[in-house]
Amino acid sequence: MRSDSPLFIPVILGTPRQGRYSEHVARFVTAEVARFPGVETEIVDVRDLSLPVSGAGEDIKDPAFSELCMRADAFVIVAPEYNHGYPGLLKHVLDTNLKEYIHKAVGICGVSAGGFGGTRVIQNMLPVLRELGLVTIFWDGNFSGVQKLFSPDGALLDASYPRRIEKFLKELIWMAKVLRHGRENVPLER
Amino acid sequence: MNRDEQAMASSDGRLLCPRCGGRMNLHAEKVDRGADPASADADLDGVLAEFHTCPACKYVLERVALP
Repeated sequence: MRSDSPLFIPVILGTPRQGRYSEHVARFVTAEVARFPGVETEIVDVRDLSLPVSGAGEDIKDPAFSELCMRADAFVIVAPEYNHGYPGLLKHVLDTNLKEYIHKAVGICGVSAGGFGGTRVIQNMLPVLRELGLVTIFWDGNFSGVQKLFSPDGALLDASYPRRIEKFLKELIWMAKVLRHGRENVPLER
Repeated sequence: MNRDEQAMASSDGRLLCPRCGGRMNLHAEKVDRGADPASADADLDGVLAEFHTCPACKYVLERVALP
């Protein structure tokens, strides 16, 4: 898995709610990630992680999820905006790892019913991701009016999004490559 | 945080990956302020952990930094 091996960039679907439009977003973004040569991806659905809520942080790690995070070179987080914040379960899931994230790139796709494309959830997530050791990029995915963006079967109805997400992903992939080189080759000053 | 994993060191001081034997790279440190105060670094107000990545298999090792 040296630097010439494929990048692995999973897409975390950050809400377990029934009827979630974010699932359409996550599937669309995952398909766009898969279009890049030399990049592997898969969806991680927080609904599928059966983490206890009676504990927190690394004490309740899901071994498979931690292994996936260890393998990852970068992450896309699809985060719906709930009352201007992020879903509680997404935070609960992210908090179960630390060493698996350090010096890896992350990009956020904000999802909202209103017109601001999840801007407020993105802003609220940035300090959390920084504390987890992740490196944020300066492109975001903004999915406004999500209930009108996709057909009931998940087909994207706005032709402008593929190009927007291509720009977002190119920045994420650049950061992922640079950080992988750093993690593997650049030692901390002693 | 603050798992103190064990690993052998190579002759140049780099840790050897406990999974595949590859030479690991130390690229990050972080202070754990929730760790046992008895073992805390007084200057840093917590226990300093270091993080090593294996280029060969991507394993990340965490251990308490040596003084």
